[in-house]
Amino acid sequence: MFQLPTVQFTKEQEQFRLEVRAFLQEEIAKGTFIPKCDSWLSGDDPSFSRLIGQKGWIGITWPKKYGGQERSTIDRYILTEEFLASGAPVAAHWFADRQTGPLLLRYGTEEQRELFLPQIIKGDCYFGIGLSEPNSGSDLASVSTRAEKVEGGWLVNGQKIWTSNAHICNYMVTLVRTSPFDGKSKHAGLSQLIVDLHADGITIVPIKFLTGESHYNEVFFDNVFVPDNMVVGEIGNGWTQGLAELAYERSGPERILSTFPLIDELIQELKRQNNSEGLKQASKVVSRLWALRNLSIGVAQLLESGDSENVAIPAALVKALGTKFEQSIPEITRLLVQTYPTLDATRKIDRFMAESILHAPGFTIRGGTSEVLYGVVAKGVVTQ
Amino acid sequence: MSEMKDMILDVVERMLKENVDKDLVDIIEQGKWASNLWGLLEENGMTMVATSEANGGAGGDLEDLLNIVRLTGKYAAPIPFSETTFANYLLEQTNLHVANGLATYMLSNTQAFVLEDGKLSGEAIHVPWARHTKHFVTLANSVDGIHLVEIDLGQAEITHYANLAGEPRDTVKFQNAIVSQVSATLSFDEIGTMTTLETAFQLASMTGAIDKINDLTVQYTKEREQFGRPIHRFQLVQQHIVNLAGETAIALAAFNNITDALLNNHQNNEVAYARIRFEEAIQAVATISHQVHAAIGTTHEHALNQYTRRLWAWRDEGANTSYWTDVVATQLLENSGDRLWDYLTDTKNTVIKL
Repeated sequence: MFQLPTVQFTKEQEQFRLEVRAFLQEEIAKGTFIPKCDSWLSGDDPSFSRLIGQKGWIGITWPKKYGGQERSTIDRYILTEEFLASGAPVAAHWFADRQTGPLLLRYGTEEQRELFLPQIIKGDCYFGIGLSEPNSGSDLASVSTRAEKVEGGWLVNGQKIWTSNAHICNYMVTLVRTSPFDGKSKHAGLSQLIVDLHADGITIVPIKFLTGESHYNEVFFDNVFVPDNMVVGEIGNGWTQGLAELAYERSGPERILSTFPLIDELIQELKRQNNSEGLKQASKVVSRLWALRNLSIGVAQLLESGDSENVAIPAALVKALGTKFEQSIPEITRLLVQTYPTLDATRKIDRFMAESILHAPGFTIRGGTSEVLYGVVAKGVVTQ
Repeated sequence: MSEMKDMILDVVERMLKENVDKDLVDIIEQGKWASNLWGLLEENGMTMVATSEANGGAGGDLEDLLNIVRLTGKYAAPIPFSETTFANYLLEQTNLHVANGLATYMLSNTQAFVLEDGKLSGEAIHVPWARHTKHFVTLANSVDGIHLVEIDLGQAEITHYANLAGEPRDTVKFQNAIVSQVSATLSFDEIGTMTTLETAFQLASMTGAIDKINDLTVQYTKEREQFGRPIHRFQLVQQHIVNLAGETAIALAAFNNITDALLNNHQNNEVAYARIRFEEAIQAVATISHQVHAAIGTTHEHALNQYTRRLWAWRDEGANTSYWTDVVATQLLENSGDRLWDYLTDTKNTVIKL
């Protein structure tokens, strides 16, 4: 069985954690935002993104020459944990910070980095990730949105779906087919293009979610022109490049903490009731959280030390286990305290319950279904 | 972490691999134990790891020791390694001399023994390995408080019992027996710390057993063929493999985090969380591994039961899950001002030295 490194936070890191926490508490007190469950999907608030951009808290690991802080992956981990634990609205810049930045730093051109990274860091520029299509979910290599070579660029036609927050994004890193599907090497012929979501030929249709809000979208491409300088990395290398992003996408604290505000309220409620029997039950939830956090931080430390080869399987495992945990929280809560879930409830625990129940089915689907992850882990474990 | 860690662990794992097989583990159920293996570890200084030089120690720290205990759990080694080393660790931490030879302990019941004029009376049940060991370390009540005492088991009336795995768990009775050493009186915090360390030693053995069960099970899915192919090719079996891998990864990471925390004096309930989470891990690991091994795994003949029966026995020994959920619940109530996240991420230095 693989062994993950352990992390003891430094004094500076502890200090940083408290600094972020104090800032967020103050903003909550000022009414800047209302804490929510699953705020990294549902909390899209450009003004909040700009606010934390000013603090230097977007792209904090990126090079200083683009405006970053060159801080460690562990610092970013701490920052992300604090945002999620306080239910802060970080959705607008989320994917650009988590995925697009690292992608461009690894595969992008200097021109792309200079153009996009400083804007992302300011909290002004948001990216969507265009992967799924109506007929390509778990079987992602079967995508059929195609880009055809024309003079000076590519002409894109097709459709993406389930793109988080495309309706507020400026750009989308889009996985397209640049050469025809070949059954023998189905991962070949895919490329990543940066598509301007305000370009001619783009139509964005929000999809109404279980809560009645819209977080996911359909994105239609009708002869959309993408200039050559918006190709990420190499034409035909899109699958490999996309895989490199997955460890970042799968192992972060957002795979454990999406329902943390509800856990916090549950504990508060049990404390108010002086319910020690309930707290004994809830201590099992706290212990599960601690145990998962060890794994997730261990993967972050592997990424920090540049050990990207051994990261894929633990990262997939963290997502499979973590999302199952966060999904279980409303079910456990409602058996320990009396709740009545509604989205407009004035009692916090009722609102968090409603948000958690309605968002929960998505946890084990988005970013790779549990079934796909199980396949990855099983294969990895058996061949080890 | 000691610089010697990797070297020490390599040496110990090699010794265990070469010397412990299914038959050797089975001798415990015939009332025997692996004295040769013990001699080998003793010769190589492994029974004195984490003991101070003043007490004749061989270097190494608590993390090294807990990792050796993990390995004895991984091989189900039929020797009182965890018991002797933990008894010695308690003695040393309370400024007493380490015992010379095999030792065991019992902490669970602070009311079991009375100490009067240097003489011990009382009875403890489920004492591990009492019949094979020489020194007994336990808590005892005197008029001025609770002490840790060391006493020669030659003076005890010992009745043989065994746990679910056939490991010796004896009843030990003393009547006005002379103690060899007595510590100063202990505070409740100090006793609580001893319990924390006891649980850490138990978690080490459990981690080893879980790791081994995972290895056995994955290996079995590669060897066993049905419907013309190895069973790991079936998706429903793969689901078992992943759930088992998840529990194993969680156990290993939890164990590494508690040794790290103990060594760095960052103790913040890690042992409690780990023990509570291990309750679920043990249940899942035992169920899944037996399901995957199917009929053969339910036989005494197959090695799987040497690990699953140990886990089923160990989980009800010492401070159990109910004890630890109570500790966490009480703390949550007492820190009523803190939010859960403050509480969970608080890593203020807590000195755990006794």
